[in-house]
Amino acid sequence: MSDVALSGAYLGWFVLALPLLGAIVLALIPGEPSRALTRVIGVGSVAAAFVLVVSLFAQQLSNDAERRAGTSTLWTWVDLGSLQVDLKILVDPLSVLMMLVITGVGSLIILYSTEYMSHDRDYRRFFVEMDFFIFAMLVLVLAANFLFLIVGWALVGLASYLLIGYYHDRPSAVAAAKKAFVINVLGDIGLVLAAFLLVRQLGTLDFAEVFAKAPQGLGDGTFIAEMVALLLFVGAAAKSAQIPLHTWLPDAMEGPTPVSALIHAATMVTAGVYLIVRCNVLYELAPHMSDAVAVVGAVTLFVAATIATVQDDIKRVLAWSTVSQIGYMVMAAGLGLYSSGMFHFLTHAFFKAALFLAAGIVIHALHDEQSLDRMGGLKNHLKVAYFATAAGCLAIAGIPPFSGFFSKDEILAGAIEAGTLGKVLAGVGLVGAGLTAFYMFRLLFRAFHGPEPDGGYHETPHASGSAMAAPVVILAALATVGGFIQIPFVSHNLRDWLEPAITADPGIEAGHGQETLIIVLSLAVAAIGIAAAWWLFGSGPERRLARAQKLPRLRAFLLDQWRFDEVYEAAVVQPGRDLGDAGVRAGERGVGQGPVIAAEAVTGAGARILSRVENGLVRTYAMAVIAGAAIVGAILILAR
Amino acid sequence: MGERITFAIAAAVALGSAVGVVTLKNPFRAAVSLIGTLLAVAVMFLLLAAPFVAAIQVIVYAGAIVVLFLFVIAYLGERPGRFEHDPMARYEVVGWIAVIALGVQGFIALANSRLAGIFDDPKATGDIGSPRAIGEAFTDPFVVSFEATSLVLLVAALGAVLLAKRAVLGEGGR
Amino acid sequence: MEGIPLACYLGVSGGLFLLGLFGVLTRRNPLLLLLAVELMLNSANVALVGFSRYWNVVDGQVFALVVMVVAAAEVVIGLGLVVAVFRQRLALDVDALSSLKG
Repeated sequence: MSDVALSGAYLGWFVLALPLLGAIVLALIPGEPSRALTRVIGVGSVAAAFVLVVSLFAQQLSNDAERRAGTSTLWTWVDLGSLQVDLKILVDPLSVLMMLVITGVGSLIILYSTEYMSHDRDYRRFFVEMDFFIFAMLVLVLAANFLFLIVGWALVGLASYLLIGYYHDRPSAVAAAKKAFVINVLGDIGLVLAAFLLVRQLGTLDFAEVFAKAPQGLGDGTFIAEMVALLLFVGAAAKSAQIPLHTWLPDAMEGPTPVSALIHAATMVTAGVYLIVRCNVLYELAPHMSDAVAVVGAVTLFVAATIATVQDDIKRVLAWSTVSQIGYMVMAAGLGLYSSGMFHFLTHAFFKAALFLAAGIVIHALHDEQSLDRMGGLKNHLKVAYFATAAGCLAIAGIPPFSGFFSKDEILAGAIEAGTLGKVLAGVGLVGAGLTAFYMFRLLFRAFHGPEPDGGYHETPHASGSAMAAPVVILAALATVGGFIQIPFVSHNLRDWLEPAITADPGIEAGHGQETLIIVLSLAVAAIGIAAAWWLFGSGPERRLARAQKLPRLRAFLLDQWRFDEVYEAAVVQPGRDLGDAGVRAGERGVGQGPVIAAEAVTGAGARILSRVENGLVRTYAMAVIAGAAIVGAILILAR
Repeated sequence: MGERITFAIAAAVALGSAVGVVTLKNPFRAAVSLIGTLLAVAVMFLLLAAPFVAAIQVIVYAGAIVVLFLFVIAYLGERPGRFEHDPMARYEVVGWIAVIALGVQGFIALANSRLAGIFDDPKATGDIGSPRAIGEAFTDPFVVSFEATSLVLLVAALGAVLLAKRAVLGEGGR
Repeated sequence: MEGIPLACYLGVSGGLFLLGLFGVLTRRNPLLLLLAVELMLNSANVALVGFSRYWNVVDGQVFALVVMVVAAAEVVIGLGLVVAVFRQRLALDVDALSSLKG
């Protein structure tokens, strides 16, 4: 079944099947299954998939570089003459890296939710949907052609919709789910159009064939190549919440916290980065779009970071920080630093999941309280959450030896090497790094340090059980040490590892001078950010409240999240509504309703006549049958 | 010649009794009249070299089915329906025209038939009517329809039981 | 040996069928209606067996037997309905049973 090289590629199908099977079995158990059984199936299916992925990973490690990628075909899915699409998966270092995070972090987070969701009535539905999400995400990263990728892309959107709207009796959750779904569909459209272009130009959708034919079929820097890259980026931007399609992600925090951790921090929102990295060949052929991607990433990381500095909802701070961090990854991918982007994806999955889960412990302990205003001094009550958040903050702020230091500095150092644009964007990234340090330590200080809120807590915040603590501890530990797999000056393991997948790597290499410069600068801005956060928030609310009066308009602007939603409302939603109203006034009443009324009159009269035939007298019906038979017989005889 | 006489008598009895079935007001008499038709048809089956079907006709039809009819008629007793007005009266003409038209069409179709020799004496026949021939037909080529009929009977039996039971419940378990 | 042509049987069959049809259209008592239906089924049987003889194959007779089975089932259900109607103290008149009309 395996086509080339990696003999274990067929195992990918089992990795796919396990979470799907878990979801189906769990959904179909009649009656209400016991919570223990739900837990075993929900966590077990994903954990088993993780074990399989690890075995695949081990097999790849033992192979030499050429034999680390393999495909496996189940059957031909679509055969349209010249276009043939197989149900085919691609197991290569890139997809295995993604799968390791998806199933590994995924099983930790699902394990965490066994306790987090324990007060929920719909316990089973949550795990069914989580397992389904894992399946969808695996389809996305395993697909070996664009069609299969689009299927995974759409399934992930569906799973995200279901999980954001998990509390379906809360109108805000339903609205957020709808918003996320609609914006994601915008991205799907981009992806589908890109696939159409590829079919037209290259006659194939298979990754390997597309990437092999692209240099001739699309050309270097041609309009069509730029279009393909643009359309792919529309899909990537919608999934990865990049400006201008980012507005759904903060609202998506209406979902349960484990969902935010898994889908809206660690895995799904990085799908866009994955797509750009996967299509690195196409982006190298579209230099202008690559630059645009990098600019969008940089703008996003800056805008999101500024917004995060004023948010008072603990999950919203993390959400905007996620948008900002993905901005770094997208910027890296746009600049051609594909492996650096994936490195940041890896470390971000660790520290952001740890941060979200720690926030979940806080929210759980305070009975669904999410506002930073009613937190403070929690470090005495929630030790695990405190240390995990601290580790996450140090990592995201880029303090050595925490993981974020290595990945973020690699991006910034690489950016300096990538031309003039890269230098500018590196500057933006540095400012963003300072803001990141500021808002993350603001969160840490406001939630865990300082005095307890006015009147103290109604009841002492209760520490979480081991099912919640263990994943947080593991993720925090990974966030601490995860960066060592690739150390500036010393090693580029990840880059070498991903080499078979990133065939068009432009090979940007930061010199020692740049690396040192970036390290010094980023440490400096991080220190400034932390110091500012400590000065404002380290010792209770007095100084913060005094300062909040300054610059009220900037503050309001940031609190309104740069007014993107308002602009969309005015520019897209309201005109659409007006157009609809005008259409109703002009068209509906006159043109539209006339035929409708006429048709109603005709059918109504016909119905009234015909309903008299249905008089309930059996013999009338018999007579009608006989008369019909006589007429048919007459026609047969006359027509002979 | 004997065969033709037998056929003529059987046909006359069948049609005459059938007229009785559709005209007699008393259900009991109509049912007895139906026996005449059924027996005459059985005679025709014998003439058509179908002794097994003829036997079944007598046993099942004239025996079981008509007896069931008579039993129900006796159980219900003489009960005139509500014959105050006939809601069908104004459509009756259409019914008559249709029946007559069908008859005329049948006649035309028969007269113009292109089947060879339907007005001639039939050829000699092989063994097609014996219980053995029918049994073999039912066990080999028609085994599925045979099983299907058993299913139909089963459903009918269940349905009858259900109807009777509901009827009993409907009158308060009298 | 003289036989009877198929056309004669078809004529008898057609006559029985039309008489049955006439009964179905005119009778209002469900019992008499069912009797008329039996007539129509018998006319079909005569034609089936007649054709069986004409083509010299057993198929028509097999079909006639199947028709008899169906007739038996139909009578059982029909009479069951009649009894059920009777026990509900309704008139034995098919025109009175019209509450399923549209």
